[in-house]
Amino acid sequence: MFETVRAVQKALSEQRYIASEDIATVIFLAEKLGKPVLAEGPAGVGKTELSKAWAAATQRSFIRLQCYEGLDESKALYEWEYAKQMLYTQLLRDKLSDLLSDAQSLAEAADRLAAEEDVFFSERFLLSRPLLRAIDSDEPAVLLIDEIDRSDAEFEAFLLEVLSDFQVSIPELGTIVARHHPTVFLTSNNTRELSEALKRRCLYIYIGYPDTEEELEIVRLKVPDLSPQLARQAVEAVHALRQLDLKKNPSVSETLDWARALVTLNATALDREVLENTLTVLLKYESDMARARRAFGLGGNSGHGRANR
Amino acid sequence: MEERIARFIAALRAAGVRVSIAESQDAWQAITYAGASQHSVFRTTLRTTLIKDARSFDTFDELFPLYFGVDTPPMTDPQSELTPEQQQQLQDALQQLLQEMAADLERLLEWLLGGRRPSEAELDQLAQQVGLDQAPPAASSQQAQRYARRMQQLLGWDQLQELLEKLWEALARQGMSPDVIEQLKAEVAANQAALKEQLGDYAGMRLMDNRAEEAQRRPIPDLMQRPFESLSTAEMDQMREQIRRLAARLRSRAALRQKRGKNGKLDAKATLRANLRYGSVPFEIRMKQRRRKPKIVVVLDVSTSMRPVAEFFLRMLYQLQDQIQKTRSFAFNDHLEDVTSDLATNDIDQAVQAILYRLPPGYYSTDLGYCLCQFQDAYLDAVDRRTTLIILGDGRNNYNDPALETLALLGRRARKVIWMNPEYPAQWGTGDSDMLLYQPLCDEIYQVRNLEQLTSAIDRMLG
Repeated sequence: MFETVRAVQKALSEQRYIASEDIATVIFLAEKLGKPVLAEGPAGVGKTELSKAWAAATQRSFIRLQCYEGLDESKALYEWEYAKQMLYTQLLRDKLSDLLSDAQSLAEAADRLAAEEDVFFSERFLLSRPLLRAIDSDEPAVLLIDEIDRSDAEFEAFLLEVLSDFQVSIPELGTIVARHHPTVFLTSNNTRELSEALKRRCLYIYIGYPDTEEELEIVRLKVPDLSPQLARQAVEAVHALRQLDLKKNPSVSETLDWARALVTLNATALDREVLENTLTVLLKYESDMARARRAFGLGGNSGHGRANR
Repeated sequence: MEERIARFIAALRAAGVRVSIAESQDAWQAITYAGASQHSVFRTTLRTTLIKDARSFDTFDELFPLYFGVDTPPMTDPQSELTPEQQQQLQDALQQLLQEMAADLERLLEWLLGGRRPSEAELDQLAQQVGLDQAPPAASSQQAQRYARRMQQLLGWDQLQELLEKLWEALARQGMSPDVIEQLKAEVAANQAALKEQLGDYAGMRLMDNRAEEAQRRPIPDLMQRPFESLSTAEMDQMREQIRRLAARLRSRAALRQKRGKNGKLDAKATLRANLRYGSVPFEIRMKQRRRKPKIVVVLDVSTSMRPVAEFFLRMLYQLQDQIQKTRSFAFNDHLEDVTSDLATNDIDQAVQAILYRLPPGYYSTDLGYCLCQFQDAYLDAVDRRTTLIILGDGRNNYNDPALETLALLGRRARKVIWMNPEYPAQWGTGDSDMLLYQPLCDEIYQVRNLEQLTSAIDRMLG
C-alpha cells in the first residue's frame, strides 16, 4: 500500500509525526519484509508515538503490550477466566443434573459430561491478552511491545517464538494462526542487553534526539500557538541543556510540555523570570536545576523560582 | 554490486560486528524492495538489516564509505564545453606532449582530461603493482593513504603537474583564450582531487578486504581454555567481546533457575488470598519464592599477576548486575579500597581503567592479611547472612600475617565464602602462598585459570 519511502514519510507527517528518512525507510522495509521493528534510544524521543502514528496512518487497530519485570504468558497471551467458568457451572447445575439424571452408570454420566466439555473450554471463557488479540484480530493490527528491556529473559524467548511464527497453540483449543501478520514495534531504553536472537529477527533503528531544526518543526506542529521566535529560543535552550552532562536530559516530550507551559503563561520572551518559573518542566533533578541555572546565568543556588525584581 | 555487498559484510564481520547469515539475507531482500538508487535510503537499508546495536554504528559509518563511496565528487569531462576547434587545439597540444612521455602518464592524463573514472580492473591492476594484495591486515587510514600515494606515484602523479603546465603553455601559444584555459585548469584540478579520493577509498577498501580474508583464514583458537597470563593484547580484546555473549548466556540460565526455583513450597497465605474470588476453592496455587537473587561482596586482588582475571571477573559481574540483588566491590593490593561507586558508572571500560589506575601494581607489596583486617574494621556491615563473600586472589601474601581469624569471622557472618584462585592446587602453599591456610575457612574454592573456568565459577556463584 506504500510503494515508496517518500509515501511512508508523507503518511506519517499527515498524522503529525515528523519522520526522518531513516525512520521512514525502516518502516517501509518492515512492511515489505514483514519484520518487527526494534526501536532503541533515550526516553521520550517518540518511539512509542511512532507506532501510534503508524497505526493511525494505516488505519489499523493499535494494540499495546507494556512490559515489566515478571510479565508472563498469562498476562501477555491468554488466560482462562476461571471465575466465569465457575459461575456458569453453578448456574447450569440444574441443566447438568437433567442431562445426567437418566444415565445408567457412572461411566455413562462421565461420558456425557465429557461430551459437553467443549462448552467450558471455548473462546467464550478465554481472556485474550494483547499478543493473542494481535494475532487473532480480524483486521490487520499494529502491535506495540513497549520497553521490552524491562521484561525477563525468558519472556523474551517466548516472544521470539510468537514473533517468528505468528501462531499460538492453546492446548484446549488448538493452534490459532494469524489471519494477518500484525506490524510489530518493539521499543527498548537499553537498560539491559537484548538477546542476539531477538535482535536478529528485527529491523533495528536507533532514534536519538532530533537536531534543532527537526525539533523546531515538531514544536511548531504540536504547539502552533507558540510564537516562532520564542519557539526557536526554547528549542535552542533545550539543545544547550542537552550538552550539559545532566543526570537526565530533557526529552522531546518535555520540550513540548515546556512549549505548552510557555503558551499558558503567555510568555513573550525567555527572560529570567520565565526561566525560573518553568525550568522544572524540563529538569527533574535538583542537581540538574542548579547546573542549568549556572549555565543560563540565573545565579547560583538561591532556589525555586525566586526572581529578583 | 552484489559482490561488493558481500565483501562489505565480510569486512563488518572482520571488524567485530556480528552479522548472521539470516541478516545478510534480509539485507539482500530489503535492497530488492528499497532499491539502491537513492544513496541515503540504501545506506539506511543496509544499516537497519545488518547492524543491531547502536555501538556498532561507528564501525558501519567507517566502512560504508569505503565500499559504497559517499558523494565522491563525480569526475566531469572538461572538454564537453569546448567548441570543436578548441577541442582540436587541445588534441594537437596533447599529441605533441604525448610523444615525449611515458605510457603511465598518458593513462592518467586521459582520465583527467576525459573525465573518465578508472575501471575496477585498472584499479585492481594498480593495486597488485603496489602490493596491496600482500598488505598486512592492520587497517589504519594512514596505511590506506600510504598505499594510495604509491598508486599515485605509479601513475606518474608527480610529473603530472609539470606536464600540465606545459600543456597550458602550449594551448596559450596556440591562441586559446585565457578564460577557457582557466576553466580547463579548474576542472582538471577538480578531477585530480576526485581521482585522489577514489584511490584513497579504493586502497582503504582493499585493506579491509584483506582483513576480512585474514579473519576467515585464521583458525579461531580456543581462547576460552587458554590461561589468562598467556593471552596477547589482541586476544584480550577478542575475549572482551566474548564476555558480553557469555554473560548473556549466564543470565538466561540464572533467570531460568530463578523461575523454576519458584516452584518450591506452597504459600498458604497468598493462595488463600488469591482464591477468595473463587469461593476459596484453590484454583490458583501460589508458591513461596524460594530463591532470592544473591547479594554479593567481592574482594579483588589487583596485583600484577591478578589483573587480567580481575578485569574479566569485573566485566562479567557488571554484565550480570540484573541477576544480583546488590553488589559491593573492593579492590586491594597493599591496601583496600571500596570501588563500588566506580562500577556504578555506565561505561565498564572506563570503570575498569579507573580502578586499575587507582591501585597501581607494586612489586611484592600485596598484603592480603592487612587488607582483610582493614575490611573488617571499615566494611564489616557489608556482610550479613544473605551475602556471598567472594575473594578473588592467588592467596600470595608476601609472608605477611594471613589474618585467619578475620576470614573466619567473615565466614561466620556471610552466607557463603567463595574463593577464586587462578593457581593450580599443586601450587597452593608453596612459597609465600597462604592458600592452604585459607582453604578450610572457605565454603567453596574454584580454580579460575581461564575464561571457561571463570564462567562456570560465576554460574555456580549465581546458583
